[in-house]
Amino acid sequence: MRRIIVEYEKCDGCKNCSVACMQAHRKTPGTVYDLNLTDPENESRNFIYQADDGTYRPVFCRHCDEPECVMSCMSGALKKDADSGLVTYDEKRCASCFMCVMNCPYGVLKPDRVTNTKVIKCDFCSQDGGEPNCVKSCPKGAIHVEEV
Amino acid sequence: MRHVIIGTGAAGITAAAEIRKQDKDAEILMISSDSQVHSRCMLHKYLSHERTAGELDFTEEGFFEKNNISVVNGKAAAIDTEMKTVFLESGDEIAYNRLLIATGADSVIPPVGDLRKASNVFGLRHLSDAQKIDAMAEKAQNILIIGAGFVGLDAAYGLLERRKKVTVVEMATRILPLQLDEHGAKAYQELFEKEGVTFRLGRRVQDAVCGPDGQIHSVELDSGESVPCDMIIVAAGVRPSAGFLENSGIKADRGIEVTSRMETSVKDVYAAGDVTGLSGIWPNAMKQGKTAALNMCGVKQIAGADTEYTDTFCAKNTMNFFGLVTLCLGALIPEEGDEVLTEENKRIYRRAILRDGKVRGILLQGDISNSGIWQYIIKNEINVSGKEKKLFRLTFADFFGVGERGKYVWTF
Repeated sequence: MRRIIVEYEKCDGCKNCSVACMQAHRKTPGTVYDLNLTDPENESRNFIYQADDGTYRPVFCRHCDEPECVMSCMSGALKKDADSGLVTYDEKRCASCFMCVMNCPYGVLKPDRVTNTKVIKCDFCSQDGGEPNCVKSCPKGAIHVEEV
Repeated sequence: MRHVIIGTGAAGITAAAEIRKQDKDAEILMISSDSQVHSRCMLHKYLSHERTAGELDFTEEGFFEKNNISVVNGKAAAIDTEMKTVFLESGDEIAYNRLLIATGADSVIPPVGDLRKASNVFGLRHLSDAQKIDAMAEKAQNILIIGAGFVGLDAAYGLLERRKKVTVVEMATRILPLQLDEHGAKAYQELFEKEGVTFRLGRRVQDAVCGPDGQIHSVELDSGESVPCDMIIVAAGVRPSAGFLENSGIKADRGIEVTSRMETSVKDVYAAGDVTGLSGIWPNAMKQGKTAALNMCGVKQIAGADTEYTDTFCAKNTMNFFGLVTLCLGALIPEEGDEVLTEENKRIYRRAILRDGKVRGILLQGDISNSGIWQYIIKNEINVSGKEKKLFRLTFADFFGVGERGKYVWTF
């Protein structure tokens, strides 16, 4: 399977990855130049946190080998795809119980900000051929995709 | 090798999928007392008519065909562990090499008045319960719910969507008494009341008498108040569904006794899920099912996964009523000497219970974004001394580490 490898030492906290993620998943047409960063509809699926020493920690979905989110899903919305290894999320099946949010050991998952009915989760940009836009947008090479 | 699994809930289905993953040739047979696979956590969505029965299925389409699993409809009546045979109520006999008992639990109807014999009193545990409630809700207007825990409020939610008049009676002085503190419970109580629910808290049903039609038309509370009702839903707890094990030699007390490998006291018989009485939490049932399956297949070690049930922490819940979300983990009531941190504004409520630098319990309401770290912090008793000031702003970044193949690892 492929995974986004994180080299946090290289991250300078520019959050291009978060903006790219928001742009990739926006529901309205448009380019990154007119992306409304303050619209709660536009949420990033990745998180850049500043550590106490001022350096940064990128927290991205691992599409875990043994995904705790899948092992908590009571609706069948979350699945580990046997072929791609990706953990996929089917919004239509989701019953908004958010046990997956509770179960993700890295705190990657969250309910959507607008309706609290969906889970905000990395989909590896399957709509763009499975090449994650966050990775494409990182100017520091702090994240890259690797076959693991 | 023939694996027989009794029960098609979270534990049973997870076990069947795992057995197939480990052994593509084994015969897998499931015994189901339900008309179809369904997630009981979604029954309220059936009552509210948001989902059809088919939409409660949590397995992928064609699960049984794809995994070559056969299903026998029926209810287990007895097990002969010498003959390695399950007897169904229909009289059919099913032989096994390895058996998994994942029969779940059943609603307990308390022996109060005529509750146990009236024809308009139901639990809410199985799809069949929801179907009976749904049918009666066609005519019933006044619904009485006994118990303001998860199931009671799920029932209330579902029937509110059908514009029923709902009264909920709860023994404790707040709703969701096992999940929430006073403050957190109040927020939900107000939401339910706004939708028209009437609560009778700190009260119990004292008497309920059947009319000549075999139905209860009003109950009497311990306050002396009489509450009229057309239908009663009892959500006052469950009991492991293990009655059929009598004389089987399989040890059961409150639930079926199991080892960490989910083995029962009898060789080649395993148990997983609510029938063990270990927890009533879906994720735990899935893990128990998976653990049982690995051991049924003779897998003693596997990369990245446990073959023993060690992740036993089950004081965990999330809830979402009317768009208000809550996460609650660990201790709920502070004890003497505990430190309690709270944070509150119009939109959110957060409360942590700490002792000796460790978080014993956490309650987050209104915003549970990125809160998955808390279960890890609490169950691993991670020391957060010195971090109290930013406690509610802790993220995985505070424990960040990267391991092999790009996996994250906790460092502390």
